[in-house]
Amino acid sequence: MLKRREAIKDVGRETSMFFVRCVIALGIVIGLMIFLLVREFKLQVVDHKKYQTQSENNRIRVQPIAPVRGLIYDQTGQLLAQNRSIFALEIVPEQVDNMQDTVSRLREMFDITDEQVDKFLEQVKFRPKFNSYAIKTNLNEEEVAVFSANQHFFPGVSVEARLERYYPPGASLVHVLGRMGAITQEDLIRMDEKDLAENKEVGTTRQRYAATGKMGKLGLERNYEDRLHGEVGSEKVETDVRGRIVRVLERQEPQAGDDLHLYLHLGLQRKITELMQEKGVRGAVVAVEPSTGGVLAMVSQPAYDPNIFTGGISNKDYQKLLTPERPLYNRAVQGTYPPASTIKPHLAFLGLKEGVITPNTRIADPGWFSLPNNDHRYRDWKAWGHGATVDVMQAIVESCDTFFYDLSVRIGINRIYEGMTQFGFGQKTGIDIVEEKVGIMPSRTWKKSARGEPWYNGDTVNIGIGQGFWTVTPLQLANATAVLANDGIRFNLQLVKEFAQGNRFEANTPVMAYHQIDTGDGSWLDLVKDSMKKVTEPPRGTARSAFDDAEYIAAGKTGTAQVKSIAQDEEYDATKIAEKFHDNALFIGYAPFEQPKIALAVMMENAGGGGSNAAPLARQIMDYYLLEALQLNQKGEQANHEESNDGAAN
Amino acid sequence: MALRTSAANTHKARRSLLWRLHIDAPLLLGLLALMAFSLLVVYSAGGESLALVERQVIRFGAGLVIMLLLAQVAPRTLKEWAPLFFVVGIGFLLAVLFFGESSKGAQRWIDVGVRFQPSEIMKLAVPIMVAAYLADKALPPSFKHLVISLALVIAPTVLIMIQPDLGTSLLIAASGFFVIFFAGLRWRYILGALGIGMILAPIMWYFTMEEYQKGRVLTFLNPESDPLGSGYHIIQSQIAIGSGGIYGKGWLNGTQSQLEFLPERHTDFIFAVLGEEFGLIGIIILLALYLFVIWRGLYISLQGQDSFSRLLGAALTLTFFVYLFVNIGMVSGLLPVVGLPLPLISYGGTSIVTLMASFGILMSIQTHRRLHSA
Repeated sequence: MLKRREAIKDVGRETSMFFVRCVIALGIVIGLMIFLLVREFKLQVVDHKKYQTQSENNRIRVQPIAPVRGLIYDQTGQLLAQNRSIFALEIVPEQVDNMQDTVSRLREMFDITDEQVDKFLEQVKFRPKFNSYAIKTNLNEEEVAVFSANQHFFPGVSVEARLERYYPPGASLVHVLGRMGAITQEDLIRMDEKDLAENKEVGTTRQRYAATGKMGKLGLERNYEDRLHGEVGSEKVETDVRGRIVRVLERQEPQAGDDLHLYLHLGLQRKITELMQEKGVRGAVVAVEPSTGGVLAMVSQPAYDPNIFTGGISNKDYQKLLTPERPLYNRAVQGTYPPASTIKPHLAFLGLKEGVITPNTRIADPGWFSLPNNDHRYRDWKAWGHGATVDVMQAIVESCDTFFYDLSVRIGINRIYEGMTQFGFGQKTGIDIVEEKVGIMPSRTWKKSARGEPWYNGDTVNIGIGQGFWTVTPLQLANATAVLANDGIRFNLQLVKEFAQGNRFEANTPVMAYHQIDTGDGSWLDLVKDSMKKVTEPPRGTARSAFDDAEYIAAGKTGTAQVKSIAQDEEYDATKIAEKFHDNALFIGYAPFEQPKIALAVMMENAGGGGSNAAPLARQIMDYYLLEALQLNQKGEQANHEESNDGAAN
Repeated sequence: MALRTSAANTHKARRSLLWRLHIDAPLLLGLLALMAFSLLVVYSAGGESLALVERQVIRFGAGLVIMLLLAQVAPRTLKEWAPLFFVVGIGFLLAVLFFGESSKGAQRWIDVGVRFQPSEIMKLAVPIMVAAYLADKALPPSFKHLVISLALVIAPTVLIMIQPDLGTSLLIAASGFFVIFFAGLRWRYILGALGIGMILAPIMWYFTMEEYQKGRVLTFLNPESDPLGSGYHIIQSQIAIGSGGIYGKGWLNGTQSQLEFLPERHTDFIFAVLGEEFGLIGIIILLALYLFVIWRGLYISLQGQDSFSRLLGAALTLTFFVYLFVNIGMVSGLLPVVGLPLPLISYGGTSIVTLMASFGILMSIQTHRRLHSA
């Protein structure tokens, strides 16, 4: 059979043809292999540089490193704001086999709310699985210890430490230091606008914040955000395709932010806070150093502990802050109140300066004042009047309303507006807190534009006793008091005394250093100051009992502001009206009389009369500062030592 | 007889032992060298996973056993069984079409005690069948024989193409065509077919190609059009190869592969890992090894005792080349992405077994010659 087939087939021809075909095939194979090699040569030799660059771009990433935020100290070197490691329970989703099970077992060990779980699961859903996400923040040491002992039961779960802002003084300083908050979309837009305004390339500031999660939202933290933040560092890292860091190639260290050293005296701040809490009052106290404009204390009560915001505040805790007492509200900086009689010294000075009155000008006070051709009676707080021969000194010492009704009408609103503006009313004090309000220093133009009405003489009468349209912030009031104590020099109030970068200190130079009021030969101011001294002295001073037996000489002025207008024939009776309509108690003052060290303004909401309520508080504050704090300060080292002992004991 | 043949060809006793085992030493050496290279690259591409290397070793071992088994089967026997082999294969393909299991959008698997792809059988069954059919005919084949052998190629190709599995159908078509080519297909037919192919290409494009296949071709023509989607593979593999340069980044140091920018780096795109870590030098070594194996395959075929052995051996050898050419061309950005592994280098796949089986057939051809043909 085979033989027959072979006869048909031409084996010789087939074999040679097959050989040719094999040679051709081999030729094609070699040709195509050379074709491949040419291609690889093109990739690996000709275009090598290009692909090498692309390969580097693939794997190398520069990532920012957050700088350490600057610290904040008081004038005695006490730490007011620091960065503390907080511990968070974090989970790397890709290392967890059964998330449901892990979470529920963690909840058996720790107090984790549904809110926290939801927030965590939300993050896990939308972000890379190899990153770490916190399920619970602010672990205490015991919780950290408990977890560490059980860590091996929880693969993919770990306790991580992160730097977070911590305020050792807690609530007493929140209205000075402010607080931090997450950087929002609006913040980012603001950064771009800032870049534009400063002619920088847009994105410069965002770059600075590339590794930062939070920024100052209020108070000093907000105002000095630029300095506190520091300069971002960077790290050149090799990452894999999912962005996971494989190793660090280069590192440029970040530069820590500047530290802030304040004029503020923590002891004084705490003392004031305690006193106000004891009395259970809402209000504000601002104490300044007259010779510098430095703020020694700035208390707004009630307050809240800013540390509860660290690591995210729960909705429940936040709701607690939204009470009618409004602890979130910074009364010292944003509260605008009628100044009441506390501005009588300033008006008296203006009257003397403008020549409207002399030290000997006397009026008769029947207990009321009325404008010519008008039978409306503006009543004095003393129904039967202060006598038939009230001069300017007596008017200040006894806080005679009738004298000042008359005086303000004589000066006229235009000159009052200009004169009071010189004391800083209706103006920013320049305090280094951006949230500052200016209140209202009323004028004809103001009333026209704000109320659409002309100015009436009656409006001027009310201005004489610091009521009507006039509102001030406690900060303005304290500053205006310092101006009197400081012979007419008005400083821009400042909380920050100097900045420090390591050992390099840099003084804080406010934009407008100070403003000198024309005080003539000084006699007008001396008269006003003498009168304020008599306010704290027997026999007639409205604050005489508060300053009974004081070891120093103080000058002051009380004020009682009407919150609710009282009808013509109605009597003010605190027992008959709601607490929120009770009078505000005020006091301004400074001490010691010669070479003043402290000037302050006390504003107590709905607390009643200034002489009986605000003045005693001022006395206690001055006692503490002049007789305790300053004495301690002079002892230097020893003082620090004792304070820290105190802290430890607490 | 075998003993005398070996005596004629060799001077070493060891080789005679291999001969009795029906093993061709040069071919085996070439294959082992490729396997060693594979283990080196798989270890690096698999993120230094020894487990992966272990599984690859097991697969190579299985491949070598299959090779050895097929080498014992005389070409005559293979030829006798060819029709049955082919018919059963077609039967399985039809079964897959109707009862097969889907994975990744293609119906390729069938479960008959063992789960396997019938298309793998056809990679061998088609060239064996066509070679068996043409071996007894006068060559070059007449038009009638040509049409019948083309039908034997086209039927399974179409069945596999509609699974769809473009890569395998391409290989099967190629293996069948190579048999016809070596049988002396006239050049005018070849040129004519090329002409018809050019006319048919656009028609296929519009009527028979799947969307994903069209996408691959489009991406191939312009990978930057979709750098994060289907163009990503091609762009990243070219970056890997190009950044390797002449000497490469060094074993285990390829950033594209180690940092996982390169997708499918231990399977279909392993050539890019090799290019990145071993550079142009490594590629030249690889191609040289392949060329050696191909040369040896053609050499064995040339010495084939009968038409069947010659046609089959040469066709299997060239099919092996198609594998590597399509894969390297794809990874280097010369050809569209077709899911074919780099033969004997890529990790896994049933292809190792099939390939080793075809080398077993080549060894059988080499070692079952009768004395007079030596």
